[in-house]
Amino acid sequence: MTFARLGLWLLRRERASGEWRVLLLALIIGVGSVSTTGFLGDRIKRAMSEQGASFLGADLMVTSPRPIEDWPVPAVESGALATSQALEFASMVSRGDAFQLATLRAVDADYPLRGVVRIADRPFEPGAARPAQPPPGSIYVEPSLLPLLSASVGDSVKIGEATFRIAGIVAEEPGQLGGVFGLAPRVFLRADEVETTRVLQPGSRLTYLYQFAGEPEQLAAFSAAVKPALDSTQRLIGSREGVETLRGAFANADRYIQLTALISLLLSVAAIAIAAHHHALRHYDQAALLRCFGATTTQLRTLYAIQLLTLGLLGSLAGVAIGALTQQALAALILPGAVTRLPSLGLAPVGVAIASGLLALAGASLPALMRLIRVPPLRVLRRDLPPLPVAAWLSAAVSGSALLLLIAWYAGDAKLVGGFVGALIALVGVLILLARLALVAGRGVQRLSHGPLRFGLAQLLRHRFDSTLQLGAFTLALFLVALLALVRSDLIAGWQQQLPPQAPNYFLVNIAPHQQQAVAAYLSEHRLKASALYPMVRGRLVSKNGVSIAETLPEDARDSNTLRRELNLTWTATLPANNAILAGRWHGERRADAPVKAIPKVGNPLSAQADAELTPPAGAPLLSSDPSAEISVESGMAERLNLAIGDQLGFQVGDQTIAARITSIRSVKWDSMQPNFFVIFAPGQLDALPASAIASVYVPPDATDVLPGFVKAFPGITVLALDKLIANIEAVFAQIIGAIQLLLGFLLAAGMAVVVATLLASLDARQQEAVLLRTLGAQRAYLAKGLWSEFIALGLLAGLLASACAEIAMALIANRLFELPLRLHPWLWLVLPLGGALLVGMSGWLTTRHITRVPPMQSIRALN
Amino acid sequence: MTPPDSAQFPAESTSALQSHGVVIARALSQRVTTADGELAILSEVELAVKAGETLAITGASGSGKSTLLGLLAGLDQPSAGEIMLLGQRLGDLDEDARARLRAGRIGFVFQSFQLLPALSALENILLPLELAGRADASTRAAYWLDRVGLAARAAHTPRQLSGGEQQRVALARAFATDPEIVFADEPTGNLDADTGARIIELLFELNASAHTTLILVTHDEALAARCQRRLHLVAGQMREAAFA
Repeated sequence: MTFARLGLWLLRRERASGEWRVLLLALIIGVGSVSTTGFLGDRIKRAMSEQGASFLGADLMVTSPRPIEDWPVPAVESGALATSQALEFASMVSRGDAFQLATLRAVDADYPLRGVVRIADRPFEPGAARPAQPPPGSIYVEPSLLPLLSASVGDSVKIGEATFRIAGIVAEEPGQLGGVFGLAPRVFLRADEVETTRVLQPGSRLTYLYQFAGEPEQLAAFSAAVKPALDSTQRLIGSREGVETLRGAFANADRYIQLTALISLLLSVAAIAIAAHHHALRHYDQAALLRCFGATTTQLRTLYAIQLLTLGLLGSLAGVAIGALTQQALAALILPGAVTRLPSLGLAPVGVAIASGLLALAGASLPALMRLIRVPPLRVLRRDLPPLPVAAWLSAAVSGSALLLLIAWYAGDAKLVGGFVGALIALVGVLILLARLALVAGRGVQRLSHGPLRFGLAQLLRHRFDSTLQLGAFTLALFLVALLALVRSDLIAGWQQQLPPQAPNYFLVNIAPHQQQAVAAYLSEHRLKASALYPMVRGRLVSKNGVSIAETLPEDARDSNTLRRELNLTWTATLPANNAILAGRWHGERRADAPVKAIPKVGNPLSAQADAELTPPAGAPLLSSDPSAEISVESGMAERLNLAIGDQLGFQVGDQTIAARITSIRSVKWDSMQPNFFVIFAPGQLDALPASAIASVYVPPDATDVLPGFVKAFPGITVLALDKLIANIEAVFAQIIGAIQLLLGFLLAAGMAVVVATLLASLDARQQEAVLLRTLGAQRAYLAKGLWSEFIALGLLAGLLASACAEIAMALIANRLFELPLRLHPWLWLVLPLGGALLVGMSGWLTTRHITRVPPMQSIRALN
Repeated sequence: MTPPDSAQFPAESTSALQSHGVVIARALSQRVTTADGELAILSEVELAVKAGETLAITGASGSGKSTLLGLLAGLDQPSAGEIMLLGQRLGDLDEDARARLRAGRIGFVFQSFQLLPALSALENILLPLELAGRADASTRAAYWLDRVGLAARAAHTPRQLSGGEQQRVALARAFATDPEIVFADEPTGNLDADTGARIIELLFELNASAHTTLILVTHDEALAARCQRRLHLVAGQMREAAFA
């Protein structure tokens, strides 16, 4: 018989052993966790790349906030390239008293050039491939819009001033995996009917999509010619790039979710290491006997390696099977509605998951097995003889490099690996410290207690290493579960609660200059309180002191959102109420002193109190090169982009460049529900630009019936309901948190595996003690109570520590990130300790209960 | 038999050495370093055992009996002196080479039986046969289990067997590979007098029929008396080499 076969034979005979079971279970949990995320990530990535050009809807696409009239390429004019044009913008869609913000895409007859749009007659049907351009007078809508408007196919809805019939449901369109986190459902309408809606205003956020398809050479020539002609607000996207951008964004999110899963695997590693160590301890005699019978080192190595490999493969495969099941649940949470359109399970993640499992197993158990094969044969005669020690650096190197490799694999780049390892070490350090402190406190309780409780606590304190490990692992699992629950409930609730009474709860966006008076009249007629009305011009920050802004920043800061997107620029002489000057001097102060040169102020038509706040929508000439132009910059933006008082900033607004000097830096209370701005110009610089205005308004709960009337009266104005926005954010939160909670289930299971593994490792000693106690006259109930006391104390302590950690973490998050007031959660201090006591109590009791049941004589014989 | 004359093994051929015995020890010493200095466990032990002989190593607890057994079986290395086992100079062999020498040619019986708890009685006997690569392993194991009278308990694990039954399985395991030498360490040490006596009977019966060399460590006078020769150790030193 070869030693490989012998290894398998012995493994089969020992399959009922507790250590193998725990090891296998821990491995299944860890691999299940990483393969769940692995499978889903792979499916989404493949969905993106398999769709290729159809993902973009074209071979090439140019996006621009302005129409592009002249293409510097003959191919476009000559018709050698197929072209299609679309315009995307947000607007209200209403039906009767119901209204909803939607993303409208106005398309021509050729859209899309690649891929298909499927239109169905009823929601959630697969539909048939049809042109995306609906018949005249009608629109296609995403299914989610219908219930919001209580509409069905065939009904009429209003967009702006025009009425459209819903002619079909968009079942599938290029670039969409299902409207996952979309706050505004998609609507397709005819490009030639946009005009009739009259919703487009100067200053509206528009995106022009120019699509191209053709032969590769023509496309290459087109790209080369067009690229240099585009300004910083315009983008050329190739079909591959389009997918890559999306995939890049997804890969980042995916990486963090994968790292969450990796924590479960690493916790499983702890359980595996304990089980493997204990397994080795129990098999020193076996190894010595085999050596005695003539087995060489190589043969023993083969024997144990084959056992380990078999367990690794079995555990990993079972983990993969569980991952394949749970990924479907995860997909349903993250991508409801799109699950059926994802490609089937891929094979690549299977390899990754199995390799992860084997790597984790190797890292966790090799040190123990290395000792096992170094057992001296003389141990058969002298049982106390330990195996030859393995150099500590060697074990550490084997385990350390395996685990590091695993983390590096999942984290991807060196910075993230460093961050992850650093955070992990810090977390482990804090948990060990906390666990030790808790045990010190436990000693105090033990002194005061008596009977089985004292006995149980003594056990807990005696196995200090085990207890620290169990406490640490379980605290971590409970803490993360609690933190997520708090984030979900607290942030949303806190945000809603924090709104001052009668804070604005609706934003009115896209108010055309000619509508301002009428809007004011309408609101005052209905006694609604509105904020100041701010004109808005869209522009991009492009330079600082004459140098391109990107060049003034370090490499890693260039990716700022503030630079990539257009900013809403406003102008006012009055510092908004929720703003405070931190440095410099508010431009309005000087203006106030200045002679009549100041722009004539016109009353804010929307606000009774803020009459003097608003500058006129038009009037003063555009001073695009006025060196004295002044701006005030929000402090966070100034910090991110390294801006200081006196810096000259250049903005690109449309095709013009406007320069202005920073004269003040402001703090902004972003959660005030007022229109807030990063950059506020002094009146006089932007006034001549086409601008629409924004305002916020408070609509009392008993007056919401005013809104349908408002939407009907001003169909072009976008009404954003904050409570709907918050509800949407909450829904998105719930989706993401649900997904992470699913992964935390694995973490909790891994924590229980650690508890069981440590208990199993101490089972022999416990049994010996129990036998002795029973021989001395202790009753079974006494022992059972002792065990329960020990595990319940452990669970309670873990729950208390986790509550403390969660409160502190939550306070930090609320305070630092969201500036919410400090809130305590008394229920947490009840639920977590009780939950912990229940989980640890059950797993502990199930692992150890038989030691109280076995008759002492049988135990003594078994131990011999 | 007289011990070899010189302190060194003669340099002649292995076959010439073989004639002196299957186990030969010359000037064998074992010392360990403790906190109080060096401690001699065995000093200058001289020994030669011929094929088919039975030898009892006796002495009080801590006299070095088990240490000597371990050294003779190649389970440990001496601090000084030399051992020839089955014609091989153990000092020339590393740990793995000594293991290969033992495989199938040497049997062991231990005081604490040392059966693998996960394996049945039959499988425990099968283990050394499989390790030695015997083609007829299964039949041999069944035969030997029957020889020790436990055919009906083949599927029972050690936990389900009494001490005496476990030691009978251990005896079958030791003899199953047709070893040239069987080393036994206090084979009756964990058994009551009656069971011990039955085990002794069985041990010598098996040994006689297999013509095996038997070297056993014991402080059981009855057991030692059954051996052809006896080596008495006092504080690691040979006091008496009596012939039966």
